[in-house]
Amino acid sequence: MSTVVVTVREISLVAQTLALSARAIRNTLRQPQQWVPSFLFPLLLLAVNTSALGKVIRQQGVDSYLNFALATVIVQGILFAASNSGGDLAIDIQDGFFDRLVASPIARPAILLGRLSASLVLGVFQAAVIMIVLALFGARVAGGAPAIAVIALAAGLLAVGIGSISCAVAVRSGSSETVQAMTPLFTMFIFFSSAYFPKDNMVGWFRGIVGANPIDWTISAMRDLILDGFDTTSALKATVIPILVAVLGVTLATLAMSRRLRDIS
Amino acid sequence: MTQTFPIQAEGLVRTFGEVVAVNGVDLQVNAGEIFGFLGPNGAGKSTVVRMLCTLLRPTSGSARVAGFDVATEAAQVRRVIGVALQDAAIDPIMTGRELLDLQAVLHGIARADAHRKADELLERVGLSAAAERRVGTYSGGMRRRLDLALALIHEPEVLFLDEPTTGLDPTSRVALWEEVRRLNTDLGTTVLLTTQYLEEADQLADRIAIIDRGKIVTSGRPADLKAAVGTPTLGIDVAPGSVDAAKVVLANFGEERQVAKGLGIGLAAGAAGMADVIRALDVAGLTLEHLELTPPSLDDVFAAATGQRLEGAGAATSGPPAGRKGRRR
Repeated sequence: MSTVVVTVREISLVAQTLALSARAIRNTLRQPQQWVPSFLFPLLLLAVNTSALGKVIRQQGVDSYLNFALATVIVQGILFAASNSGGDLAIDIQDGFFDRLVASPIARPAILLGRLSASLVLGVFQAAVIMIVLALFGARVAGGAPAIAVIALAAGLLAVGIGSISCAVAVRSGSSETVQAMTPLFTMFIFFSSAYFPKDNMVGWFRGIVGANPIDWTISAMRDLILDGFDTTSALKATVIPILVAVLGVTLATLAMSRRLRDIS
Repeated sequence: MTQTFPIQAEGLVRTFGEVVAVNGVDLQVNAGEIFGFLGPNGAGKSTVVRMLCTLLRPTSGSARVAGFDVATEAAQVRRVIGVALQDAAIDPIMTGRELLDLQAVLHGIARADAHRKADELLERVGLSAAAERRVGTYSGGMRRRLDLALALIHEPEVLFLDEPTTGLDPTSRVALWEEVRRLNTDLGTTVLLTTQYLEEADQLADRIAIIDRGKIVTSGRPADLKAAVGTPTLGIDVAPGSVDAAKVVLANFGEERQVAKGLGIGLAAGAAGMADVIRALDVAGLTLEHLELTPPSLDDVFAAATGQRLEGAGAATSGPPAGRKGRRR
């Protein structure tokens, strides 16, 4: 058998990150059980709430419950799906695929960057699909294209943030079960927010919690872009929490990865 | 001038808390050699391999692979080694070709070369027809062969195979042996393989080291090691009430040896002494239920070195690999 001689070039962080990102995206799309629930459950909840709460919300001066709930559906979908990133990383660790990566001359940052860039792409894609689906049922974004772009970006950044926190847990625990157990914790943020009901109508301790919930700040800012039109303040408000969550998550994930790799030459 | 070995270890130690998994391993593997690391589960084989592959930092001691220090020049080591770890850690959602492409990128191989090399390797391991199928649909043997191809994509100088045939059926096992032998012959790749199977070490390895409780207890060419044990093993079964009497008789013909079932001795006179043993047992009024003479094997080598048999331990663990926690998929 003739032998193909290969040319080995310098290791490229970008090429390796893109290759691992492509793997993560492809694997997610090939596993409908990973992405279908993150579309389906928020949309089902929307359908239920539209019937149950639509009239009440319209009495608050909102023309369309779909417009009111659009930001909720997007953020809820992201919170449902974002821990998949950490779950897959934990499975790589459990199955030994992580060892395969580490035993190759991979640039170490590519392992996390590949996962998180995939989270960004999937988050933006998910937000775009939800906006298109709800637009088919009559939802409209008053802020137009700039608002749509900001909402999609905020969704992507939030996916990176939650994804990186789940990756930190994955790297620390090496257990997909532990990562999956976090999903309800993430979705709790939705229940303690103005996701389904305007904050002005809330009272007492619940209103206090909602006011302190950073996810509510993001949903409210996205909602302002949808209902009131584009303005820079709302755009900044919509993105600042996702950015902070992403910074926190990436820091935690990087520290966890350094710790795991410490025992490796 | 000091000779450089593709794999060289001196006083390699690895502890996990109070547990000493590897306890002072010295190793020298020659260029182009297939070196077998034989031992039961938990003997420390995989821990040694993980240290040599830069997946685990040695607690003390040193090791060099292809001339690079595994602790201080790990990045260089990773460029020149191919690794197929236990249980064929292959993403079942990806296709065989996608995995080869990814492995090529990780090693910085030019895209055009990567495709041609992937084609060549897929053909070599007999997976061309299955290249576009997801790995989750592969049999255990196919996964192992793909694992081997992945380890070869960058033409490594040194190949580490950690229990490459554990959990495979006999046919797949023999096919993989042939493939390892072929690539060693064709490409001159130095191979270090760990195994708990005596036959695998005997068939494949030019030299072996037997490891037990973290220490190499003996090493050398399989034929030399077996010759050093010297005498064949005579195993007999007698009625349960006659065991003690039989032991007394057998003691006149050689030293006691452990056998899988019944009593065993190393027959000092060789095969020619069998008739004398049978006569002596008959004179003592003992009835033989079973008798078997086996030439020295690596199991005898293992038993002589450790006082235990490897064969029973191997049989107990020769089923499918202990499942890693259920992967998605």
